[in-house]
Amino acid sequence: MKRYLTHPWLTIRVQLALGAIFVIAAIPKIADPPSFAHMIYNYRLMPASLINLSALVMPWVELLAGLALILGVWKKAARNVIGVLLAVFIIAISINLFRDNAIDCGCFNVADRGKTHEQRIFDMKVDVVRDLGMLLMVAQLWWAAKREQDESSRASTAQTGVSVPH
Amino acid sequence: MKQNTIFQAAAIVAAGIILALVANAFASRDRKVSLVGTYPNALKVPAREVPVAPVATPVTQTVATTTQPSTITVPPTATTSTQPTATAAIETVGINPKVKTPAAPAPTTTTAPTPHAPPPTPTREFNAHPDKPYIEIAYNDVKALHDKNVLFLDARRTSVYEQGHIPGARTYSVWESDIDDKVNKLFAERNDQAAQNLPIVIYCSGGDCEDSHMLAQKLWGIQFNNVYVYKDGFPDWQQHGAPVHTGANP
Repeated sequence: MKRYLTHPWLTIRVQLALGAIFVIAAIPKIADPPSFAHMIYNYRLMPASLINLSALVMPWVELLAGLALILGVWKKAARNVIGVLLAVFIIAISINLFRDNAIDCGCFNVADRGKTHEQRIFDMKVDVVRDLGMLLMVAQLWWAAKREQDESSRASTAQTGVSVPH
Repeated sequence: MKQNTIFQAAAIVAAGIILALVANAFASRDRKVSLVGTYPNALKVPAREVPVAPVATPVTQTVATTTQPSTITVPPTATTSTQPTATAAIETVGINPKVKTPAAPAPTTTTAPTPHAPPPTPTREFNAHPDKPYIEIAYNDVKALHDKNVLFLDARRTSVYEQGHIPGARTYSVWESDIDDKVNKLFAERNDQAAQNLPIVIYCSGGDCEDSHMLAQKLWGIQFNNVYVYKDGFPDWQQHGAPVHTGANP
């Protein structure tokens, strides 16, 4: 089981899928920062002075991290950045679910879709589950990288053992 | 190895910050945001810092009523005047105070209301209320104020405004970077106490939309004492079949 879950065939697909999701999620926010700022404001978690800066920077960080995963550049760093972002999203949505503050998550669409309170609460629960799923994808990447590192260090130790003259 | 990963993650964030600032610098007016947001919490109204001046006594002599008790001189809007400096006295329904308005450019003419529609009956008087940033009103009051050519501000995004808005309303999106400039311009237009006590109606999308409340607080913060929020917003206006104007102009 462990071998299948950390197999390179699965890892490369998870990496590409996670990268693509973050690129797709970033584009509407980059295209319309004021609407994304509005979404962040609705969370009522951030000081007003930081809302606009977050609305500007966060989508670009998502885009760059997603591209890095797709291109296979700085994979570990990109994976870590995405992991932190997902953790922040999950916590933020969960806090608002707990408060019964119905919001649009602003994850993939920053337009106001005129939903009812109940629809928004339901969507927020779906968003948390979806983000947890993506966090599992990050965990898979982390696990696969760790296993790869362990195997390569074992191989080099064995190689060193053979090559070292007595 | 770990240090290398931390450095790379920091580089991704730093590149994101640089790209974000460059993109914002070249963004169009309605896509740009100011770097430091100043958004009043629409649910918690802070105490006013500037001492409130007493409400101005009516100063104009223009009375053009037939049966109604009081009059108002409104700012030049769609149908009130063709000359920027002229004031127009119109019949009204208990709106106070009666004041002269400062000069301002007249917006373009817009769609006229349905001629056969009976005029709505307002439920209140529209006196200045310096102790409150805004008062929420419903369609009948909004329509009555609209028929008296009171200033309307649309707090939704400019792109949404262009798809349809209340005739004569100006676009004042609180989420766009030029909102403070627009508020300052309005303050310059209405730079005396009497003018600041004229009614202003603000609306957004109704429901849980708070943009109009936020804009109302901004205006109240600079001494506009007679601000009303159309609580059900533009969707309600449309539902009542009231006239709608499209495009970038009021």
